[in-house]
Amino acid sequence: MKNLPRWFPAIVLICVVAFVVSIFARGIGAGDLGGGSSGAMPLEGLARIPVSAGGRTKPLDTYARNELLRMSGKQTYEGDGGSRPAIEWLLELWTKPEAAAERRVFRIDHPDVRSLLALTDATRTRFSWSEIAPKLEEIFRQAQLASEISRKKQDPFQKQITDLYGKLSEYVQVQNLREPYTVAPLAAGEEWAPLLGTDPHAKPLDTESALALRGILASYALGDAADCTRRVAEYHAVLDAKLPSAGAASAFEVVMSRCEPFYNASILYLVAFLLGCVAMLVSPMSPDRWKPSLLRSALVLIAVAFAIQTFGLASRIYLQGRPPVTNLYSSAVFIGWACVPLALVGEWFSRIGVLSMAASLIGFATLVVAHNLSASGDTMEMMQAVLDSNFWLATHVVVVTIGYSATYLAGFIAVFYVVGGVFTKLLRGEAMKALPKMVYGVICFAAFASFVGTVLGGIWADQSWGRFWGWDPKENGAALIVVWNLLILHARWGGMIRDRGVAALAIAGNIVTSWSWFGTNMLGVGLHSYGFMDSAVFALVTFCLVQLALVACALVPTARWRSLAAAS
Amino acid sequence: MNKLNSILKSLSSLRLTVVLLALSMVLILAGTLAQTEQGVWMVVERYFRSLYVAIPFQLFVPTKIVRIPGVFPFPGGLTLGVLLFVNLLAAHAVRFTLSWKRAGMIATHAGVLLLLVGEFVTGAFAKEGNMTIAEGESANYIEDTRSCELAVIDTSDPGDDLVVVVPARMLGQAGGDAITNGMLPFSVRVVEWMPNSRMLGPMQASKGQLAKATAGVGTQVAAAPVAVATGVDGADIDIPAAYVELKRGDASLGTYLVTPRINVPQTVDVGGKRYEIALRFERGYRPYTVKLIDFKHDRFVGTETARNFSSLVRLTDPSERVDREVLISMNNPLRYAGETFYQASFAPDDSGTVLQVVRNPGWLLPYVSCALVALGLLVHFGSRLISSVRRKVS
Repeated sequence: MKNLPRWFPAIVLICVVAFVVSIFARGIGAGDLGGGSSGAMPLEGLARIPVSAGGRTKPLDTYARNELLRMSGKQTYEGDGGSRPAIEWLLELWTKPEAAAERRVFRIDHPDVRSLLALTDATRTRFSWSEIAPKLEEIFRQAQLASEISRKKQDPFQKQITDLYGKLSEYVQVQNLREPYTVAPLAAGEEWAPLLGTDPHAKPLDTESALALRGILASYALGDAADCTRRVAEYHAVLDAKLPSAGAASAFEVVMSRCEPFYNASILYLVAFLLGCVAMLVSPMSPDRWKPSLLRSALVLIAVAFAIQTFGLASRIYLQGRPPVTNLYSSAVFIGWACVPLALVGEWFSRIGVLSMAASLIGFATLVVAHNLSASGDTMEMMQAVLDSNFWLATHVVVVTIGYSATYLAGFIAVFYVVGGVFTKLLRGEAMKALPKMVYGVICFAAFASFVGTVLGGIWADQSWGRFWGWDPKENGAALIVVWNLLILHARWGGMIRDRGVAALAIAGNIVTSWSWFGTNMLGVGLHSYGFMDSAVFALVTFCLVQLALVACALVPTARWRSLAAAS
Repeated sequence: MNKLNSILKSLSSLRLTVVLLALSMVLILAGTLAQTEQGVWMVVERYFRSLYVAIPFQLFVPTKIVRIPGVFPFPGGLTLGVLLFVNLLAAHAVRFTLSWKRAGMIATHAGVLLLLVGEFVTGAFAKEGNMTIAEGESANYIEDTRSCELAVIDTSDPGDDLVVVVPARMLGQAGGDAITNGMLPFSVRVVEWMPNSRMLGPMQASKGQLAKATAGVGTQVAAAPVAVATGVDGADIDIPAAYVELKRGDASLGTYLVTPRINVPQTVDVGGKRYEIALRFERGYRPYTVKLIDFKHDRFVGTETARNFSSLVRLTDPSERVDREVLISMNNPLRYAGETFYQASFAPDDSGTVLQVVRNPGWLLPYVSCALVALGLLVHFGSRLISSVRRKVS
């Protein structure tokens, strides 16, 4: 087979750089506030207007995206002429509510809820306000009935009807401008406030910000692009002068959401993983030619993806002013992020490509998990005072999450080892020896990070409420990971298990880690009370079953391992 | 001597370590799952601080799939902890050599031992309680929210109250039998006992529910039983309630509703004397007094999410000549007289504060342990990593 040109990785690098540049170009995109001259509305400037919701100051763009995501499960909607950005939907809701009522933004999946609402069109899952409105009273009645059952005892129908009722109420709140708090505090003594209060007879706000916003919305409603553009620009000038911090952060956040760093990083991780697979598959045909070149290309992709992910994480830290892990969503992003450099260090040791494949796969998988966790709305929500910034809490979440990452990494390397070893002839000689060493090394690190991280969590708890260890589900989950890692290490030191045993236990470690990460959260929603209805529970159980099957593979006697047979 | 050595050897085996670690995992898992139905404190006592525990099979399988009756015996946390402790000590006794190569492991294991000791000390000696104070009021006692008592208070002496208490445990176990004691002015018969309860207002309660009590507040409001708080709810406080009939001889003095939620005095007149009765959290009196001057609760704008809360209190202890103001806030506790006061919660309408008061003589141990383990593992794994990097580079 012909050699791949030497410059192949360089070509990959150039392509990737071009990709990244295009992302950021799109992000910064229409960076000016204008658009008026061409007769288009100044969407860019409108998107950047800071508002306050959930206690956090954010751009109107983010608010619109989160609202639409919560209602419809997507950040865009089907407008006139195809898919449109969320900000247009929000502005339409405020300025032309009767047109907005026709937009299909309510996602309804449950067949019983649909039949209750007489929504017979089985071809779609999203419905408009005007389709649902005739049944508002019935929805209210059902939600009332369901509210007498505690959330965790509710069946899927009751849950969805409760959620739908919540979304409809929120829709009304937003349409009536009670949410978000749009009026900015521009003078001393002012606070963020809604444009309209709950009292319809109260005198409308007449602060500088309220007047400006009313002007902007009026000109938007009239479709006067030039006037709207001028007013938006004026308002931004006022904001820059009187509330500079909010303006800058807001503009940055708009760019960041449009760049979608985590989404793009996940694509690069996926491509890197596929390149790695190709490298592995062609290696028997030409071990010295294609493989190194392809692997180097995969490394380039991983490095760039890692850089983009780092940018995303750093942006979140800047916008929130908090440590990188604040909720389940950010823990998923961070676990993937922490695995990548760990795996690359392992790659440097072993140079067999498997570690970079593990890195890209974990990077991709965790970002997919994170994406699925983000549907509940703002992923940068404010936290209860007890979770407020504190040295011990910050170090705890970071270190313990790195511990989770390392445990997963060990498990995934073991998966490659077992699958590659049992089913293929690809892992010959040095790879068969190097991989178990990697698994062991990563478990050592995982034991260290998870132990220290867990104890730091105890210290934080002691600082905050005087209880170092309370045996609550989350703490127990962390303890399980620590004990599992210690068990593997002691079993190996005692000669009870060797390479294959370490791999089998490391794969089972994936189950332990997933249980601690997600399972303990699911206990709260009552695994025992209503069975396996939640899709997250289903995903978790499936994942665990797959891991068990892989453990069974690891138990296949070494004589049957194809890689070992090929080597001898 | 040989025999001792062989015993030590088998006690120090790594096989035993692995078995103990595996058993610990099963115990921790069971203790976590048990919290879907039981309160965290109940589970801690039964699973983690006990010699053995009977674990229901059903814990591991959702009832939706299949119902499995029965339990299996299992070593409790105390047993496993002591065995791990012995195993670790024996291992170092048998294989003890002081060398730089082993220094890391010795430090790590010393840290683990300390951690086990710390948890034991906490289980045996730590005391936790709450101090609930309304703004402008003072408190000189700490309530143990995990246990209640029925207090019968003789208020006839203007200087000092004379209090006789019946532990809630006795009320729960009494069944229909009357509780009598020479110090009680009347006998107490428990008509109904609710380990956890909710209140029903005058409009919510049915006529039948209001008729359960014949005297006191219970004729206007009622209590209904609710499931005990579970660990996964995150709530760890049960608020019991009881309907009790007070009798003097054969004459009934009335049936009263008692619960910590009732905070107005309920009185009973017996033989010309007036007594107050109350079911309240067990109190431990202190020589010092804490007065709440001001409670602040900031929320994020437009939400109910707490941003910060703090209590400005005045601490007085005449015997120690202490009289000062202290600001207690999240992560900034007050340490005084061997106890630590944390800002824990607040009254529903922000009119008062709830301080968590903890006395734990072992509180420092985890800090030392963490430092030892972190250092030990760094030295141990670090030195190996460095040597393999060296090999790799050369």
